[in-house]
Amino acid sequence: MTPLFVAALFLTGCSDPSVEAAAEPASPADWPAVDTPLDGVELTLWTAESTASVPAGVAAAFEELTGATVNLTVVPDQYEANAKTKLATGAKPDLMFWETNVSVLNTIQAEENLQPLDGAPWFELLDADSQRLGVKDDVHYGAIIKSYEVMGVYYNLNNFEKAGITDVPHSWDELAAAAQKLKDAGVEAPFYEAAGDQWPVQWGAQMSLADLSADGFYGDLNTAQASFSDAAVVDRLTAFTDLYAEDGMANSNIKTATFADQGAALMSGEAGMEFHVNAIVDQLSQAYSLEEIDETVGFFPISPEGNNGTMSGGQANSLVAYRTGDETREAAARQFLTFWLTDYYPTFIEEMGYVSIQPAVASPAGIPQATLDSTPAGAAEKFGSTAVASMQMEAINNPDLYLNMAEVLQGAKTPQEAADATQAQFEQLARAAGVAGF
Amino acid sequence: MTTLTRSSTSASTAPQSPRRVPRGRNRHPWWFLLPAFAFIIVFFALPVAANFVFPFTNWSTFHSDIRFVGFDSFADVLGDGSLANSLRTTLVYAVLVAIFSNVFGLALALLLERDTRVNRFGRAAFFLPVLMSALATGYVFQAILKADGALNSALALLAGQPVDIEWLGSMDWTIVVAALVHTWKWVGMNMLIFLAGLKNIPTDSLEAASIDGASRWQSLRLIKIPLLAPAFTFNIATGLLSTLNSFDVIQALTGGGPARSTEVLNIFIFRTFGSGLYAQSTAMSLVLFLVVVVLAIPVIGFLRGRERAMS
Repeated sequence: MTPLFVAALFLTGCSDPSVEAAAEPASPADWPAVDTPLDGVELTLWTAESTASVPAGVAAAFEELTGATVNLTVVPDQYEANAKTKLATGAKPDLMFWETNVSVLNTIQAEENLQPLDGAPWFELLDADSQRLGVKDDVHYGAIIKSYEVMGVYYNLNNFEKAGITDVPHSWDELAAAAQKLKDAGVEAPFYEAAGDQWPVQWGAQMSLADLSADGFYGDLNTAQASFSDAAVVDRLTAFTDLYAEDGMANSNIKTATFADQGAALMSGEAGMEFHVNAIVDQLSQAYSLEEIDETVGFFPISPEGNNGTMSGGQANSLVAYRTGDETREAAARQFLTFWLTDYYPTFIEEMGYVSIQPAVASPAGIPQATLDSTPAGAAEKFGSTAVASMQMEAINNPDLYLNMAEVLQGAKTPQEAADATQAQFEQLARAAGVAGF
Repeated sequence: MTTLTRSSTSASTAPQSPRRVPRGRNRHPWWFLLPAFAFIIVFFALPVAANFVFPFTNWSTFHSDIRFVGFDSFADVLGDGSLANSLRTTLVYAVLVAIFSNVFGLALALLLERDTRVNRFGRAAFFLPVLMSALATGYVFQAILKADGALNSALALLAGQPVDIEWLGSMDWTIVVAALVHTWKWVGMNMLIFLAGLKNIPTDSLEAASIDGASRWQSLRLIKIPLLAPAFTFNIATGLLSTLNSFDVIQALTGGGPARSTEVLNIFIFRTFGSGLYAQSTAMSLVLFLVVVVLAIPVIGFLRGRERAMS
């Protein structure tokens, strides 16, 4: 009976349950007024563990204003993997936090599954940088709620002072020299890396590729004109891991240290510098006051030959709206986003302590200086940074570069082997997606 | 006399009556089985059958159609060395757990064999981890074993100097540590099986041995262990085969690290599924299923043969 059933399932043709409701490409959507009554309408919003509390305030305010119900569903970490698994079973939210870079939009078949958000009432309110985000094939799918940031080095201000470093490094070589000075001044870990958690390793690796990214590396990668295995890439990845190679240049527990350890080490002064994104400051904000953070933590962007910051955004920066096939709920989801990013936006950034991405709305007080400096605009103003794209933003898929580089730091792979493994996975994913040339 | 003959005739026919009128059919209509069958079909048979179909498709998160593509997914997963690596790690892990859980399970059973109050408490205490959540076990041991965790602090107290052994940071030894944690979680079950086996050993054999002057070691080696053969069969077979399918403890403890040295196949499958390559991950789980089947038959056959030889 069972084999018959399965055979029937396949003979009658089957499709991925996550796209069953996909309809004709939507016509330009109408945008209901934020206070349109929605009694009895239920919206489901998926969040990651790290963004679980982000929509709490706006959801409550929207419920009160419209009579709708907004159910917040926390998908356990790893968010992207588990959300995709949930989608594969046919479950579908009305809205979810999602990284809206092309490589990540590809994994949920944006054009079939998502509501296009072109013409949204909040769009003109955004700054120019944010207007360019969340786009695939000239269609906006992402509602940007938080500024992207640039990757960079978060450092302990007291240690820099102790080592007599008065100006931030302006190249990879100067970075190495600064680390040496920190070591000479007795700093326990000039660099503090967390290969135990693996994912933090991607930041240093990606920054080392910043100049290649500016030269169009990811575009060439997508068309099989370039490869992670190229000497130019391997040289830069090697330059990154070489920073940690010499005894005493990196934390002794580099193989098992975690993201949480990095925060503690940066504040205690055990660490000199850490390659990171602003997640590190977000983590510290839970435990330390603004004054403590501002007195202890500094930031600068870095690239092989300068201070160009590599842009980074994740699921915390944007939401997508699903095409569920239920027009009432689809319109309600658009109404909710409009409310969030227009009427409620000043309250929202005040609640969350986010940097404003709407020029007409001032950022709230109480944001750490390192956070302000790590926005694309802040980094441009203070360090002359020209933001370059990250792998997630420009590559057509997202191989596990972080995992392979963590293996280099754990002594299991050479940079060449890590690059080869990354390239092999990139090609495997490209083939799975049916990209020409792979 | 006649009466007697009659009664003996009726007595001799009596045992046949259940066969002529099957009692089971009257008391339990066949459709009583339907809910159980429905449950088994939906939650067991269908997924298993699907697992034989999906590996031959191109199912992924990147497009909506699902087409048959033959053996492409198998070529994909066998192409790079990751699958072989994870398979090797899985086998090493399963063998280590099988060895540890039998050695420690037997030792505990022998230690707690006599029915004293202390022993009954000991049995309950060692059985307690079996009831714990496997993920909780993994996370608790992660906290204990980290460089600045409780174990190193305790060792430092004994040694009188700081100890910073990376218990979970060794490419070679962390898998052994993980196997020990897994054993800690399940050893209570092995202990119970061995205890049940020990209780079944006839006391007269042991008494006869002791009258003949056998030492405790001799009666353990020559009487108890041979008579525990069925318990060994059960413990080794279930230990080995269930550990091949293990995921939870090791995922919580190391997540497969450091550098994938503890990445058992199920973690690899989980990671591949999470990256959206659904066909490839189902191909891997089919490979795992085949490995379990291929291992189960000879292992159980060998242990059964050993039981017969020993009894």
